[in-house]
Amino acid sequence: MLRRKLTILAATAALALSTNAALAQNKVLKFVSWQKDERGVGDWWASVIKAFEEAHPGTKVEWTKVERGAYADTMTTLFAGGNPPDIVHLASFEFQKFADNGWLEPLDPYIKDAKLDLTGWAGQDTCVWNKQTVCTMMLYFGYFLAYNEDMLKKEGLSVPKSYAEFLEAAKKTTKDLNGDSIVDQFGTGHETRGGGGQYISEMMNYTLDAGGRWTDENGKVTINTPQMIEGLTRWKTIVKNNLTPRDMSAGEVRQLFADGKIALKMDGPWLWPIIQKGKAKDQIKTAMVPFSPPVGGSSNVLAIPSDISSDNKKLVWDFIKIATSDKFQSSYATLGASPPPSPRADISAAKAENPNFDLLVEATRAAAKAKVDRIPKGLEIQFNEFSKMVMEEAQRMIIQDLDPKAVAATMQQKAEAIQQQ
Amino acid sequence: MKSGFGLDLARPSRRHWLGYLLLAPAVLLIGLIIIYPLIVSVDISFQNVNIARLDQPRRPFTTANYERLFSSPDFWNASWITLKLVVIVSLFCFLLGLGTALLVNNKFKGQAFARLLVALPWAVPEVIAVVIFAWMFDSSFGLMNWVFIKLGFIDTTVNWFSSPVAAFAVVCVTMIWKGYPFVSIMMLAGLQSIPDDFYNAARVDGANAWQRLVNITIPSLMPVLGVTLILVMLWVFRDFSIIYVMTGGGPLKATQTLSIMTYEQAFGFFKMGYASAIGVVTLIVCVIASRLMIGRAPDNI
Repeated sequence: MLRRKLTILAATAALALSTNAALAQNKVLKFVSWQKDERGVGDWWASVIKAFEEAHPGTKVEWTKVERGAYADTMTTLFAGGNPPDIVHLASFEFQKFADNGWLEPLDPYIKDAKLDLTGWAGQDTCVWNKQTVCTMMLYFGYFLAYNEDMLKKEGLSVPKSYAEFLEAAKKTTKDLNGDSIVDQFGTGHETRGGGGQYISEMMNYTLDAGGRWTDENGKVTINTPQMIEGLTRWKTIVKNNLTPRDMSAGEVRQLFADGKIALKMDGPWLWPIIQKGKAKDQIKTAMVPFSPPVGGSSNVLAIPSDISSDNKKLVWDFIKIATSDKFQSSYATLGASPPPSPRADISAAKAENPNFDLLVEATRAAAKAKVDRIPKGLEIQFNEFSKMVMEEAQRMIIQDLDPKAVAATMQQKAEAIQQQ
Repeated sequence: MKSGFGLDLARPSRRHWLGYLLLAPAVLLIGLIIIYPLIVSVDISFQNVNIARLDQPRRPFTTANYERLFSSPDFWNASWITLKLVVIVSLFCFLLGLGTALLVNNKFKGQAFARLLVALPWAVPEVIAVVIFAWMFDSSFGLMNWVFIKLGFIDTTVNWFSSPVAAFAVVCVTMIWKGYPFVSIMMLAGLQSIPDDFYNAARVDGANAWQRLVNITIPSLMPVLGVTLILVMLWVFRDFSIIYVMTGGGPLKATQTLSIMTYEQAFGFFKMGYASAIGVVTLIVCVIASRLMIGRAPDNI
């Protein structure tokens, strides 16, 4: 009888052990990202996942794509429901809300234990929230100028080096080519429809060059300044005079440029792969933007949710370590066609592959040196509300033909009210 | 019949229990997926919450969200836009729906094809319809600007989505195009249920086409019309995707309805307490409007 009992006990214990082992063997980490299927950077993420799975046999990464337009809602719902993804991928203008709710794990102990050197890591300062590092920056970019050489040559124009030259070139290349009273070719291209975040990035081309900033180093709102008024005047001039196609999303404008319908386009590194697939590929050349400093900023971050098990946190940290390793930061440059944030990355292969790469690095460095970021200091939490307000007031200025000085005063007042909420 | 619990459901006094038992799963499901979120939403609307989490302790009761809501010009603007949209879209859906239903109710060559064409927009997904209309009204390369210039109505392109009036009009046109087939289908069903004898008798009495429409067709359609109108109004009231994809509520909040405002506050600005308050007010308005219309329907028949 005793023997039988012992046999059953042993069998039960063996079964329990084998089940635990099976569970460990079949661990799945959930990873949600909007960059899956994106040419270049999507391939890079796939390579990171592959390396992680090879280093952790039995652990799989379940990678799901969520469109950028629905990303904030999806992530909020997942976190609010207590079911966050294990590997957290967020845009650098939205992670603050999650960090402020205590949903992101402080990474300082992990960084210290792993002796991960983040000195000189572009945009990493943005990841410090309430004096704790809550994420690692995956991209910091600077805008460059892409121009259609044929269009400029036809008008006898050289590559613009200042706002005045840029405006002249934009005016001369904006044309009705077939005389049907409809403009078919535009001097430049900006998104004027869609989200506030992209809209203010487009405006910043002009406000930064005029010397304006949304806030100062201490987070004080500084919109009602002569520099910002000048920047708003420039934006109004470009949009009101239809030097850019109106009511288009950023993607549509990029495609128009790549297809030879726009002469000048300031944009980030992601424009390059789109140009390569466009009809005007051979006519398009690149240069530094005619504005100083160029628009730039942090793009997206990786983080660990505070709600998952400690085992999973360790695994996610391993994933981050792989993504931030010198090897993968170097491959980011080639696959992602963007300057990686790591200062130790070997970008020689990327330079050999992409003749544009030095320019991207230069633009990124210029933006970083001037501490340019789309997200104004002191308005990080309220960024969506702030950017929406700025977009609406700028639209009002154009639609109702308002004085930029009055608009700047309204923006200042509203931004201060948003900040004090 | 004895149930497993020893309950005799065949007894006349307990026969209704079987009905309740059969209804129970559906009621429980509705309770779970509709009533519970509704209660949570009402509860959150009385808390000062940015991002709500059910596992976190409840915040103190406050009416601040409602106080802010009723003193907000944005809320009154969204209410006005919603009302305008409901009235305009419902009216034109009714007129177009009735007109096309009367048309395809007649016998003519190609009637089946005409009926298919009338119903087609109903089958097109909303997002696809928006993409088509967004292209047609594109400010730089759209069809409508080209047509209007060729016809001489305008001499320069209209920035359809940069003008508050034009953007509102485009949203209305899209919603009418998407919504009228439903009215048409319902009216067609109603028209086919009207006996021919009514029309024959009216013809004998010398009634002309207009008199037959006003005195026979419309009154006979009233039961269908009442329900259809309520459904169309509720659809316009709560529709989100057409406006969100087409204009996002802009420009200058010219197309920002209560649905868009709720979404923006919840998932754009992460103010879920405030967004819940807007949602609760919207729900109350919808319930009152539906009740009023259903209550009045029998008088009209």
